[in-house]
Amino acid sequence: MNNWVVLPIVMPVISGMIMVIFKNNIWLHRFLSLLTLGLIGIVSVLLLEQIETGGIQTLYLGGWQAPFGITLVADMFAVLLVLVGAVVTFCCLCYAFSSIEKDRERHYFYSLCLFLIAGVNGSFLTGDIFNLFVCFEVMLVASYVLISIGGTRIQLRESFKYILINMLSSTLFLVAIAYLYSLMGTLNLAHLSVRVADVGQGGVIAAVALLFLIVFSIKAGLFLFFWLPGSYGAAPTAIAAIFASLLTKVGIYAIIRLFSLVFYHEPAFTHQFIGILAGVTMVLGAMGAVAYWDIKRIITYNVVVGIGFILAGFASFTLVGMRGSMYYLLHDMIIKALIILLGGTIIHLTGTGRLRNMSGLIHLHPRLGWMFFIAALSLAGVPPLSGFPGKVFITAGTFEAGYFWLGGIGLFTSLLVLYSIMKIFMSVFWGYTNLAKDNEKGTAKGLLPSMAFLTVLTIALGLGVEGIHSYVDLAVEGLLNPQAYIGAVLGSGGY
Amino acid sequence: MHCFYLINAIPFAYALIVPLLYKKFNAKIHTGWFVLVVPLLVFLHLLTYIPPVAKGKIISFTLPWIPSYDINFTAYIDGLSLVFSLIIAGIGLLVTFYSIYYLSKQKEALHNFYIYLLLFMGSMLGLVFADNIYVLYVFWEITSITSFLLIAYWFEREKSRSGAQKSLLITIFGGLAMLSGFILLSLITGTHSIREMIVQAGMIQSHPLFIPSMLLVLLGAFTKSAQFPFSTWLPDAMEAPTPVSAYLHSATMVKAGIYLVARCTTIFGGVPEWFWLVSGTGLFTLLYGSINAVRQTDLKALLAYSTVGQLGLIMGLLGLGSAALYFDVVGEGVLYAIAVFAAIFHLVNHATFKGCLFMVIGIIDLETGTRDIKKLGGLLQLMPLSFLPALIGSFAMAGLPPFNGFLSKEMFFTAVLNASKMSIFHMGTWGNILALVAWVASVFTFVYCMIILLRTFGGRPKGYKLKKSHITPIAILIPPFILAALVIIIFFYPNALAKYLLQPAWQAVLPTKITLQQIEINAWHGLNVEFLMTIGVVVAGAFLYKTLERLYSIYRYYPKMLTLNNIYEFLLEKMEAVSLAITRRYMTGFVRDYLVYILGFVVLMIGGTAFLSGGISLSLSGDAPINFYELGLLVAMICSALTVLLARSRLTAVIAVGALGLLIAFLFVLFRAPDLALTQLVVETITTALFLLCFYHLPKLKKENSTIQFKAVNVLVSVGVGVVTTMLALSVRGNSLFKTISGFYENAYELAGAKNIVNAILVDFRGFDTMLEILVLSIAGLGVYALIKIHLVGRRENEANK
Repeated sequence: MNNWVVLPIVMPVISGMIMVIFKNNIWLHRFLSLLTLGLIGIVSVLLLEQIETGGIQTLYLGGWQAPFGITLVADMFAVLLVLVGAVVTFCCLCYAFSSIEKDRERHYFYSLCLFLIAGVNGSFLTGDIFNLFVCFEVMLVASYVLISIGGTRIQLRESFKYILINMLSSTLFLVAIAYLYSLMGTLNLAHLSVRVADVGQGGVIAAVALLFLIVFSIKAGLFLFFWLPGSYGAAPTAIAAIFASLLTKVGIYAIIRLFSLVFYHEPAFTHQFIGILAGVTMVLGAMGAVAYWDIKRIITYNVVVGIGFILAGFASFTLVGMRGSMYYLLHDMIIKALIILLGGTIIHLTGTGRLRNMSGLIHLHPRLGWMFFIAALSLAGVPPLSGFPGKVFITAGTFEAGYFWLGGIGLFTSLLVLYSIMKIFMSVFWGYTNLAKDNEKGTAKGLLPSMAFLTVLTIALGLGVEGIHSYVDLAVEGLLNPQAYIGAVLGSGGY
Repeated sequence: MHCFYLINAIPFAYALIVPLLYKKFNAKIHTGWFVLVVPLLVFLHLLTYIPPVAKGKIISFTLPWIPSYDINFTAYIDGLSLVFSLIIAGIGLLVTFYSIYYLSKQKEALHNFYIYLLLFMGSMLGLVFADNIYVLYVFWEITSITSFLLIAYWFEREKSRSGAQKSLLITIFGGLAMLSGFILLSLITGTHSIREMIVQAGMIQSHPLFIPSMLLVLLGAFTKSAQFPFSTWLPDAMEAPTPVSAYLHSATMVKAGIYLVARCTTIFGGVPEWFWLVSGTGLFTLLYGSINAVRQTDLKALLAYSTVGQLGLIMGLLGLGSAALYFDVVGEGVLYAIAVFAAIFHLVNHATFKGCLFMVIGIIDLETGTRDIKKLGGLLQLMPLSFLPALIGSFAMAGLPPFNGFLSKEMFFTAVLNASKMSIFHMGTWGNILALVAWVASVFTFVYCMIILLRTFGGRPKGYKLKKSHITPIAILIPPFILAALVIIIFFYPNALAKYLLQPAWQAVLPTKITLQQIEINAWHGLNVEFLMTIGVVVAGAFLYKTLERLYSIYRYYPKMLTLNNIYEFLLEKMEAVSLAITRRYMTGFVRDYLVYILGFVVLMIGGTAFLSGGISLSLSGDAPINFYELGLLVAMICSALTVLLARSRLTAVIAVGALGLLIAFLFVLFRAPDLALTQLVVETITTALFLLCFYHLPKLKKENSTIQFKAVNVLVSVGVGVVTTMLALSVRGNSLFKTISGFYENAYELAGAKNIVNAILVDFRGFDTMLEILVLSIAGLGVYALIKIHLVGRRENEANK
């Protein structure tokens, strides 16, 4: 029992509610939201230490023993994601301070962000599949509001699609849970793992497992990503950055958790299937990224490519490949937020997203330009930035598993990623400047620090792999070794 | 900490302070003067390794980076890396000096230039010293990136940008291929160290992944060293400032591929695939480069093609030399090993004479404002001092005595002749073709060397005027003169070079099997076949040069469509166009299409899996019998569901939905769940009322005008989803394997003091769920409120296309 575990979920809820009460005090909103995220960060660092020394931390909510009550489980994998999520959201909110309209701010923008974080953290930390569904709902409803808040025409058009498709996937999720409960008679993930291990993963259980995979694929944007490019493009920059950084990752997290803890018995079927979906996702995403000459589209399709790449490593189901996925997952959370913020800043400054209408921005904004350049390289996994270890390990993992085609697709699409993103850099920043300082559409004042911080982070994570490797390795070990998780939740005797 | 690391780190550290120096001093002192220190220090430091390495010692250092994954900066100083590093530092020194006079401190963004240059220098040094494959890859990629930045140094120019992009795409592509090759190698051997891989060479060569890994590594080498057909990026890279062309694109970076092949020769060499791929590609590139160089009118483009050709020559020699590894003992092997020696020798020579030529042409460009040989001529009278290095450089490249190019060219002929008589690797008649290719390429090389020299300096001055007497100070000639002097010194004292540098490098390339004896380089070794070939080259070359105009007209027959450049452009355009077409095809923007994709996928995959895995088993035995009331409700539910589908007005549809909900509530009543029924009733009533209120404000429902096909798909997907969900639900019901945990909650009164189990579950056992669900409702409420209240300025505007 460790009460720290619930804090990353409860703290943002409480802060968010306080903000709802003091609706008009925006400074309070800003302060409280940063404070909360900072506290989440601190709590997760403490948790990391506790997990490193004391193993997986659990909390039986209400004191009801697993598998009867809801159990929160903080293992390395989950807490790492909570931590990075808090850091990235912190930066995105700082960016939002200078970029979000006052009207949006006053209409619960920060509360909603915190509620979203509560849902995200809940999804990471829960050890109960129904509670996972509920946390997904919290996160999704908050995201529905965040994406439509403001009510511009494009927002309403795209958020309708976003909501409809997510509703559909939630329904399927619920149906899948019902099936699973009917088969297994339990909702606790550790307990499910024990029971599935007992009877094997054949027959109808395989079908149910696949249904879960499809549900999470919709959420993660794995293969079924049609909702993603439009809706992420419609949201304000800071929100799109949080979405790209966190929401898809929750889906990825769910896939990895479920298919390493519960449905890990038939990797030749399930994981190869994930691999195929990942390959198709990377190809389609890269095609979308190279096809357009529009900043938002290029970047959102790059989000799709990243999803496929992370899951390619997981699909290999080897130590090396999963380690790669872990590194790449952490990297992707940072770099996707960064690249979307940078892209949004460019659009903010020039008033357009079309590459052919821009030129020579580096004369006016050298810092922005070089940050974009570094982010672009990092996005493509160029060493020694943070994308590199993930890229190497994922490729090595797929090769080791014999999925040469998958590793090949991953590397080749990273080239297309580089091409697509360099296209932005070269068109926007290079060339003669066609813009004078005073006819810019906006100012970069106040926007740079948060992006600079993320840029530093992507460099530091690349050079300092040694510094985080023990955490990442523990996380991967935990995933490959479900018994540790089961033992922590159900006690060593198990059920 | 050994000072070697400091030396290797200096370029990177210095790159960080260059902007400061630029800011503070550039008004008075050219930033280049400060930078000059770096290559000088590195060069001097490296010189100290020559004596031990010449004695056959190998020095290595390790600095940990990611020791947990066995990725460390392990530097490995042997003959091969020493030769390369000396070229990197030496030419770096001269080029930096040259750049001080070449780039104006008033007009140019010097800090950018020197940052890139230093980063390049540092990573290039790191590359040749690295023993760890991943570290090598890291430096490899940084050289590609800095090369990209340097090519686009004048980024206002469209051509600079496209040239930079091309080089980036091609070299990074190769880098990725090389990375995957390395990963395969590490999977085969279980190590990340090249040295340890060399030890396991025999095992690697018998592994099934040997050929793939070899091809991938070669792809990396060929792209970097501009081998055919990847050579197309090099001519475009000439958009870079001339110091960059001299440094990166002739002396160092493009030789990284050569370095890689030389380094990996022991791992891959000795098999026919490696032999033919490396030597074949190299010699073909030599032919391609030298033939294409002749047709160029831009001097830098000409030099670029000539570099392509010369790189091909060196690559070809390395390929031919790999045959030596086929043999175990002294004897025939040494005969072929000479090719490797020639490769290293020519590499050094090429760095000297090509660097010299680039620098002279840069000066010509500055002085006359053009590099077009059609506009040039008669410079001998105007720039007599520049003529001398130009003469030496071009004669050396043409392979004439008394210049170093002659020696390595002769050795090249020797190597080719040796190889042509080879009895292994199905040589046969190919041998003579090899020799012929080498000779023809040398003829063309001779021709373009004469073009460089005579079309610029010879003849009469054309219509241009030199702006002033000389815009460039005389000091700019120092670097080309130093290189020209080296060209001659090496010719006269080749054996000193051989003893201290070439021989150890040679030994490093072929370390394991063959004991190599001392090689004596002589300018004159009698009237042998090689010498006759050289005479043939001069005669045929002179003839071709005389008939140059006719030669040009032959070139015109070659279809423009088929140039590598056009193929590259075509591929790039096609890639974008096809991607766009495909993306547009499925990303229709219609949510209906997306739903069809998703649900269709669900039906196919879930249905398919359940069916194939035998998961569908409909055992109704355990189910309760269906009585009359339930059946009646069911029929009523189906009817109201159909009403929703077929209704012509919204009102009817909404009422039908409401009816459906109420009927479900009745089902709950029948199954004795009054609390659920009550909840359902309340929810249904409220939502129906809300719907009706909203719909009052909406326009009338229009009749759908959709095709049969459209409707058929809808029907198919709907029925499919219904069938799959139902089947699965029924099979799941029949397959319950465990007792549910719900038994626990039956003691709710004892456990939680609650008489109502459902309540106890909602607020106690799973109270957290309930709390979060309440949160969901509040968020939804906030959302509706915000959506109604918020009035953004320009709300109607389309944010994405603002």
